[in-house]
Amino acid sequence: MGDIHEVPRPRIATGHLAQHIGQPVCFVGRVEKIHPTGKFFVLSDGLGKHTTVELSEPLDEEISGIIEVVGRVTNQATIMCVSYVQFREDKSPFDLELYNEALKIIHEFPEYFQCG
Amino acid sequence: GGYVQSPGGFGSPAGGQAEKKQRSRSQNIVPCTVSQLLAAEQVDETFRICDVEISQVTVVGIIRHAEKAPTNILYKVDDMTAAPMDVRQWVDTDEAGGENVVVPPGTYVKVAGHLRSFQNKKSLVAFKIMPLENMNEFTTHILEIVNAHMMLRKNLMSVSRAPPSLSTGLSDMGGYGAGGSLTMVNGLTAHQSQVLNLIKSCLLPEGMSLQELKLQLHSMSASTIKQAVEFLSSEGHIYSTVDDDHYKSTDAE
Repeated sequence: MGDIHEVPRPRIATGHLAQHIGQPVCFVGRVEKIHPTGKFFVLSDGLGKHTTVELSEPLDEEISGIIEVVGRVTNQATIMCVSYVQFREDKSPFDLELYNEALKIIHEFPEYFQCG
Repeated sequence: GGYVQSPGGFGSPAGGQAEKKQRSRSQNIVPCTVSQLLAAEQVDETFRICDVEISQVTVVGIIRHAEKAPTNILYKVDDMTAAPMDVRQWVDTDEAGGENVVVPPGTYVKVAGHLRSFQNKKSLVAFKIMPLENMNEFTTHILEIVNAHMMLRKNLMSVSRAPPSLSTGLSDMGGYGAGGSLTMVNGLTAHQSQVLNLIKSCLLPEGMSLQELKLQLHSMSASTIKQAVEFLSSEGHIYSTVDDDHYKSTDAE
Protein backbone atom coordinates (compact mmCIF):
# COMPACT_ATOMS: atom_id res chain seq x y z
CA MET A 1 0.00 0.00 0.00
CA GLY A 2 2.89 2.39 0.49
CA ASP A 3 4.03 5.06 2.89
CA ILE A 4 1.12 7.41 2.39
CA HIS A 5 -1.12 5.33 4.64
CA GLU A 6 1.27 5.74 7.55
CA VAL A 7 0.92 9.51 7.72
CA PRO A 8 -1.97 11.86 8.47
CA ARG A 9 -4.13 12.53 5.43
CA PRO A 10 -6.36 15.54 6.07
CA ARG A 11 -9.87 15.26 4.74
CA ILE A 12 -10.46 17.96 2.17
CA ALA A 13 -12.96 19.24 -0.37
CA THR A 14 -12.19 20.70 -3.80
CA GLY A 15 -11.83 24.19 -2.37
CA HIS A 16 -8.91 23.05 -0.16
CA LEU A 17 -6.76 21.56 -2.92
CA ALA A 18 -4.72 24.72 -3.45
CA GLN A 19 -3.66 24.77 0.22
CA HIS A 20 -2.44 21.18 0.11
CA ILE A 21 -0.25 21.07 -3.00
CA GLY A 22 2.32 18.29 -2.62
CA GLN A 23 0.62 16.88 0.49
CA PRO A 24 -1.14 13.62 1.25
CA VAL A 25 -4.89 14.05 1.52
CA CYS A 26 -8.12 12.11 1.72
CA PHE A 27 -10.91 13.13 -0.64
CA VAL A 28 -14.47 11.82 -0.68
CA GLY A 29 -16.67 12.56 -3.69
CA ARG A 30 -19.19 11.29 -6.19
CA VAL A 31 -18.04 9.86 -9.52
CA GLU A 32 -18.99 12.26 -12.29
CA LYS A 33 -17.03 10.87 -15.18
CA ILE A 34 -14.31 8.41 -16.01
CA HIS A 35 -11.86 9.02 -18.82
CA PRO A 36 -12.03 6.35 -21.57
CA THR A 37 -8.39 5.40 -20.85
CA GLY A 38 -9.32 4.72 -17.25
CA LYS A 39 -6.31 6.78 -16.15
CA PHE A 40 -8.28 9.52 -14.56
CA PHE A 41 -11.73 10.26 -13.26
CA VAL A 42 -13.63 13.24 -11.94
CA LEU A 43 -15.27 13.41 -8.51
CA SER A 44 -17.65 16.07 -7.23
CA ASP A 45 -17.58 17.14 -3.59
CA GLY A 46 -20.49 18.07 -1.32
CA LEU A 47 -20.70 21.50 -2.94
CA GLY A 48 -20.73 20.03 -6.42
CA LYS A 49 -17.21 21.22 -7.21
CA HIS A 50 -15.10 18.91 -9.32
CA THR A 51 -11.72 17.36 -8.60
CA THR A 52 -9.69 15.33 -11.05
CA VAL A 53 -8.13 12.14 -9.74
CA GLU A 54 -5.23 10.62 -11.65
CA LEU A 55 -4.09 7.03 -11.46
CA SER A 56 -0.67 5.52 -12.14
CA GLU A 57 -2.33 2.41 -13.56
CA PRO A 58 -5.66 2.51 -15.41
CA LEU A 59 -8.75 1.43 -13.50
CA ASP A 60 -9.36 -2.30 -13.70
CA GLU A 61 -12.97 -2.07 -12.56
CA GLU A 62 -16.07 0.07 -12.98
CA ILE A 63 -16.43 2.63 -10.26
CA SER A 64 -19.53 4.62 -9.40
CA GLY A 65 -21.23 6.37 -6.54
CA ILE A 66 -19.17 7.64 -3.63
CA ILE A 67 -15.42 7.11 -3.70
CA GLU A 68 -12.87 7.88 -0.98
CA VAL A 69 -9.46 8.60 -2.46
CA VAL A 70 -6.12 8.67 -0.65
CA GLY A 71 -3.42 10.42 -2.61
CA ARG A 72 -1.14 13.40 -3.03
CA VAL A 73 -2.15 16.78 -4.44
CA THR A 74 -0.25 17.60 -7.63
CA ASN A 75 0.99 21.04 -8.73
CA GLN A 76 -2.01 21.20 -11.03
CA ALA A 77 -4.32 20.75 -8.02
CA THR A 78 -5.40 17.30 -9.11
CA ILE A 79 -5.00 14.27 -6.86
CA MET A 80 -2.54 11.53 -7.70
CA CYS A 81 -4.39 8.53 -6.33
CA VAL A 82 -2.57 5.90 -4.29
CA SER A 83 -5.64 3.97 -3.16
CA TYR A 84 -9.39 4.29 -3.23
CA VAL A 85 -12.40 2.71 -1.64
CA GLN A 86 -16.05 2.75 -2.66
CA PHE A 87 -18.52 3.63 0.11
CA ARG A 88 -21.28 1.11 0.44
CA GLU A 89 -24.71 2.51 -0.35
CA ASP A 90 -26.61 -0.77 -0.55
CA LYS A 91 -28.62 0.01 2.59
CA SER A 92 -28.63 3.83 2.64
CA PRO A 93 -27.41 6.57 0.32
CA PHE A 94 -24.44 8.55 1.55
CA ASP A 95 -25.18 12.19 2.34
CA LEU A 96 -22.28 13.97 0.66
CA GLU A 97 -23.59 17.42 1.59
CA LEU A 98 -23.62 16.45 5.29
CA TYR A 99 -20.07 15.18 4.91
CA ASN A 100 -19.11 18.57 3.51
CA GLU A 101 -20.62 20.23 6.57
CA ALA A 102 -18.57 17.90 8.76
CA LEU A 103 -15.46 18.91 6.82
CA LYS A 104 -16.20 22.57 7.50
CA ILE A 105 -16.44 21.79 11.20
CA ILE A 106 -13.22 19.84 11.43
CA HIS A 107 -11.40 22.55 9.52
CA GLU A 108 -12.85 25.16 11.84
CA PHE A 109 -12.07 23.16 15.01
CA PRO A 110 -8.88 21.23 14.28
CA GLU A 111 -8.03 21.23 17.98
CA TYR A 112 -10.98 18.95 18.70
CA PHE A 113 -10.34 16.62 15.82
CA GLN A 114 -6.59 16.22 15.87
CA CYS A 115 -4.87 17.07 19.10
CA GLY A 116 -1.20 17.90 19.05
CA GLY B 1 -40.20 20.59 51.91
CA GLY B 2 -40.14 16.89 52.52
CA TYR B 3 -36.44 16.38 52.07
CA VAL B 4 -34.03 16.30 54.97
CA GLN B 5 -30.82 18.05 54.18
CA SER B 6 -27.74 16.71 55.97
CA PRO B 7 -25.72 19.35 57.80
CA GLY B 8 -23.74 19.98 54.64
CA GLY B 9 -20.60 18.14 55.63
CA PHE B 10 -20.44 16.27 52.38
CA GLY B 11 -21.49 19.13 50.25
CA SER B 12 -18.00 20.55 49.83
CA PRO B 13 -17.02 21.15 46.21
CA ALA B 14 -13.80 19.15 46.43
CA GLY B 15 -15.57 16.05 47.58
CA GLY B 16 -18.28 16.37 44.97
CA GLN B 17 -15.94 16.85 42.06
CA ALA B 18 -13.58 14.05 42.97
CA GLU B 19 -16.57 11.75 43.18
CA LYS B 20 -17.76 12.89 39.78
CA LYS B 21 -14.36 12.38 38.22
CA GLN B 22 -14.34 8.85 39.57
CA ARG B 23 -17.67 8.12 37.96
CA SER B 24 -16.92 9.94 34.71
CA ARG B 25 -13.77 7.93 34.13
CA SER B 26 -15.49 4.60 34.31
CA GLN B 27 -18.63 5.48 32.39
CA ASN B 28 -17.62 7.60 29.45
CA ILE B 29 -17.11 6.23 26.00
CA VAL B 30 -15.45 8.98 24.03
CA PRO B 31 -15.38 9.11 20.24
CA CYS B 32 -11.80 9.82 19.11
CA THR B 33 -9.51 9.98 16.15
CA VAL B 34 -6.49 7.68 16.05
CA SER B 35 -4.31 10.77 16.10
CA GLN B 36 -5.90 11.86 19.39
CA LEU B 37 -5.33 8.43 20.89
CA LEU B 38 -1.68 8.49 19.85
CA ALA B 39 -1.29 11.94 21.39
CA ALA B 40 -2.93 10.92 24.67
CA GLU B 41 -0.61 11.20 27.64
CA GLN B 42 -0.45 8.43 30.18
CA VAL B 43 -0.20 9.17 33.88
CA ASP B 44 -0.22 5.99 35.99
CA GLU B 45 -3.32 4.11 34.97
CA THR B 46 -5.08 6.91 33.13
CA PHE B 47 -4.87 8.49 29.72
CA ARG B 48 -5.60 12.13 29.01
CA ILE B 49 -6.23 13.97 25.77
CA CYS B 50 -5.70 17.66 26.50
CA ASP B 51 -6.62 17.04 30.16
CA VAL B 52 -9.74 15.05 29.38
CA GLU B 53 -9.56 11.56 30.84
CA ILE B 54 -10.28 8.77 28.42
CA SER B 55 -10.48 5.04 28.81
CA GLN B 56 -13.23 3.56 26.67
CA VAL B 57 -13.26 5.04 23.19
CA THR B 58 -14.88 4.60 19.81
CA VAL B 59 -13.00 4.90 16.56
CA VAL B 60 -14.33 4.67 13.00
CA GLY B 61 -11.94 3.63 10.29
CA ILE B 62 -11.19 1.21 7.51
CA ILE B 63 -9.57 -2.16 8.12
CA ARG B 64 -6.22 -2.25 6.38
CA HIS B 65 -5.03 -5.55 7.74
CA ALA B 66 -6.48 -8.50 9.65
CA GLU B 67 -4.55 -11.33 11.23
CA LYS B 68 -6.18 -14.21 13.02
CA ALA B 69 -4.36 -15.95 15.87
CA PRO B 70 -5.70 -18.74 18.12
CA THR B 71 -6.77 -16.39 20.90
CA ASN B 72 -7.24 -13.07 19.17
CA ILE B 73 -7.69 -11.20 15.92
CA LEU B 74 -5.35 -8.29 15.30
CA TYR B 75 -6.64 -5.58 13.00
CA LYS B 76 -5.04 -2.42 11.74
CA VAL B 77 -7.70 0.30 11.59
CA ASP B 78 -7.07 3.46 9.57
CA ASP B 79 -9.07 6.66 10.02
CA MET B 80 -6.73 8.84 7.91
CA THR B 81 -5.65 10.99 10.88
CA ALA B 82 -2.47 8.97 11.51
CA ALA B 83 -0.97 5.58 10.76
CA PRO B 84 -3.41 2.67 11.23
CA MET B 85 -3.89 1.65 14.85
CA ASP B 86 -3.56 -1.87 16.21
CA VAL B 87 -6.91 -3.15 17.42
CA ARG B 88 -6.99 -6.46 19.18
CA GLN B 89 -10.14 -8.48 19.64
CA TRP B 90 -9.95 -11.44 21.99
CA VAL B 91 -11.60 -14.56 20.72
CA ASP B 92 -13.65 -16.82 22.93
CA THR B 93 -11.82 -20.10 22.39
CA ASP B 94 -14.67 -22.12 23.90
CA GLU B 95 -17.08 -20.88 21.32
CA ALA B 96 -17.52 -23.29 18.47
CA GLY B 97 -17.84 -21.87 15.01
CA GLY B 98 -16.75 -18.39 15.89
CA GLU B 99 -18.88 -15.55 17.00
CA ASN B 100 -15.69 -13.82 15.99
CA VAL B 101 -15.59 -13.81 12.24
CA VAL B 102 -12.67 -11.89 10.80
CA VAL B 103 -13.80 -8.62 9.21
CA PRO B 104 -12.13 -8.35 5.80
CA PRO B 105 -9.69 -5.54 4.94
CA GLY B 106 -11.35 -2.72 3.03
CA THR B 107 -14.36 -2.68 5.37
CA TYR B 108 -15.30 0.45 7.27
CA VAL B 109 -15.92 -0.37 10.92
CA LYS B 110 -16.79 1.25 14.20
CA VAL B 111 -14.60 -0.02 17.02
CA ALA B 112 -15.42 0.34 20.70
CA GLY B 113 -12.67 -0.56 23.10
CA HIS B 114 -10.16 0.36 25.75
CA LEU B 115 -7.03 2.35 25.06
CA ARG B 116 -3.87 0.54 26.05
CA SER B 117 -0.19 1.37 25.94
CA PHE B 118 2.56 -1.21 25.99
CA GLN B 119 6.22 -0.34 25.59
CA ASN B 120 5.16 3.10 24.46
CA LYS B 121 2.99 1.77 21.70
CA LYS B 122 -0.70 2.53 21.81
CA SER B 123 -3.36 0.06 20.82
CA LEU B 124 -6.99 -0.70 21.41
CA VAL B 125 -8.53 -3.76 22.96
CA ALA B 126 -11.91 -3.94 21.28
CA PHE B 127 -15.07 -5.17 22.94
CA LYS B 128 -17.07 -4.50 19.82
CA ILE B 129 -16.18 -4.23 16.14
CA MET B 130 -19.08 -3.43 13.86
CA PRO B 131 -18.93 -3.08 10.10
CA LEU B 132 -20.76 0.10 9.11
CA GLU B 133 -23.88 -0.61 7.11
CA ASN B 134 -24.76 3.04 6.73
CA MET B 135 -21.79 5.21 5.82
CA ASN B 136 -23.53 8.27 7.23
CA GLU B 137 -22.49 6.87 10.63
CA PHE B 138 -18.96 7.64 9.59
CA THR B 139 -19.92 11.30 9.06
CA THR B 140 -21.80 11.32 12.36
CA HIS B 141 -18.74 9.97 14.14
CA ILE B 142 -16.68 12.90 12.88
CA LEU B 143 -19.25 15.33 14.26
CA GLU B 144 -19.47 13.43 17.54
CA ILE B 145 -15.71 13.63 18.00
CA VAL B 146 -15.68 17.40 17.73
CA ASN B 147 -18.74 17.72 19.96
CA ALA B 148 -17.45 15.33 22.61
CA HIS B 149 -13.98 16.82 22.91
CA MET B 150 -15.28 20.36 22.88
CA MET B 151 -17.79 19.61 25.62
CA LEU B 152 -15.45 17.50 27.72
CA ARG B 153 -12.70 20.10 27.66
CA LYS B 154 -15.10 22.88 28.56
CA ASN B 155 -16.57 20.87 31.39
CA LEU B 156 -13.67 19.32 33.22
CA MET B 157 -15.47 20.03 36.47
CA SER B 158 -18.75 18.38 35.76
CA VAL B 159 -20.13 15.49 33.81
CA SER B 160 -22.72 16.24 31.17
CA ARG B 161 -24.55 14.85 28.19
CA ALA B 162 -24.67 16.30 24.68
CA PRO B 163 -28.01 17.87 23.76
CA PRO B 164 -30.33 15.26 22.23
CA SER B 165 -29.88 16.51 18.67
CA LEU B 166 -26.15 15.87 18.81
CA SER B 167 -26.16 12.63 20.77
CA THR B 168 -25.91 9.20 19.25
CA GLY B 169 -29.34 9.24 17.69
CA LEU B 170 -28.03 7.93 14.37
CA SER B 171 -25.65 5.45 15.89
CA ASP B 172 -26.42 1.77 16.24
CA MET B 173 -23.86 1.48 18.93
CA GLY B 174 -25.90 3.20 21.60
CA GLY B 175 -26.55 -0.05 23.43
CA TYR B 176 -23.30 -0.70 25.20
CA GLY B 177 -21.31 1.46 27.51
CA ALA B 178 -24.30 2.76 29.40
CA GLY B 179 -25.95 4.67 26.64
CA GLY B 180 -23.78 5.84 23.81
CA SER B 181 -20.64 7.61 22.82
CA LEU B 182 -20.90 10.40 25.39
CA THR B 183 -22.29 8.70 28.43
CA MET B 184 -22.93 10.78 31.48
CA VAL B 185 -23.84 10.06 35.03
CA ASN B 186 -26.75 12.32 35.73
CA GLY B 187 -28.20 13.12 32.29
CA LEU B 188 -27.80 16.87 32.46
CA THR B 189 -26.42 19.36 29.99
CA ALA B 190 -23.21 21.21 30.74
CA HIS B 191 -25.06 24.30 32.02
CA GLN B 192 -27.45 22.32 34.16
CA SER B 193 -24.61 20.38 35.73
CA GLN B 194 -22.64 23.48 36.56
CA VAL B 195 -25.66 25.13 38.17
CA LEU B 196 -26.48 21.99 40.13
CA ASN B 197 -22.92 21.57 41.36
CA LEU B 198 -22.84 25.13 42.63
CA ILE B 199 -26.17 24.73 44.42
CA LYS B 200 -24.95 21.46 45.95
CA SER B 201 -21.84 23.16 47.22
CA CYS B 202 -23.77 25.84 49.09
CA LEU B 203 -23.79 25.32 52.83
CA LEU B 204 -26.21 28.08 53.75
CA PRO B 205 -29.53 26.96 55.29
CA GLU B 206 -31.50 29.02 52.76
CA GLY B 207 -29.49 27.63 49.89
CA MET B 208 -28.00 29.50 46.95
CA SER B 209 -29.63 32.54 45.46
CA LEU B 210 -30.01 33.28 41.77
CA GLN B 211 -27.87 36.39 42.34
CA GLU B 212 -25.05 34.29 43.72
CA LEU B 213 -25.36 31.89 40.77
CA LYS B 214 -25.13 34.79 38.33
CA LEU B 215 -22.06 36.11 40.14
CA GLN B 216 -20.26 32.79 40.08
CA LEU B 217 -21.28 31.74 36.59
CA HIS B 218 -20.33 34.89 34.77
CA SER B 219 -20.07 33.09 31.44
CA MET B 220 -23.73 32.10 31.63
CA SER B 221 -26.54 34.52 30.86
CA ALA B 222 -29.26 35.16 33.45
CA SER B 223 -31.85 33.44 31.27
CA THR B 224 -29.64 30.36 30.81
CA ILE B 225 -29.23 30.11 34.57
CA LYS B 226 -32.95 30.55 35.13
CA GLN B 227 -33.77 27.86 32.55
CA ALA B 228 -31.31 25.50 34.21
CA VAL B 229 -32.80 26.18 37.63
CA GLU B 230 -36.32 25.57 36.32
CA PHE B 231 -35.30 22.31 34.72
CA LEU B 232 -33.42 21.09 37.79
CA SER B 233 -36.34 22.01 39.99
CA SER B 234 -38.88 20.23 37.81
CA GLU B 235 -36.65 17.15 37.75
CA GLY B 236 -36.38 17.15 41.51
CA HIS B 237 -32.66 17.88 41.77
CA ILE B 238 -33.27 21.14 43.67
CA TYR B 239 -36.04 22.79 45.64
CA SER B 240 -36.83 26.37 46.50
CA THR B 241 -36.47 27.47 50.10
CA VAL B 242 -37.33 30.93 51.47
CA ASP B 243 -38.48 32.17 48.06
CA ASP B 244 -38.25 31.43 44.33
CA ASP B 245 -34.80 32.92 44.22
CA HIS B 246 -33.18 30.50 46.66
CA TYR B 247 -32.51 26.84 46.02
CA LYS B 248 -31.01 23.85 47.76
CA SER B 249 -30.05 20.47 46.38
CA THR B 250 -32.23 17.47 47.16
CA ASP B 251 -29.19 15.22 46.99
CA ALA B 252 -28.29 14.18 50.53
CA GLU B 253 -24.56 14.08 49.94
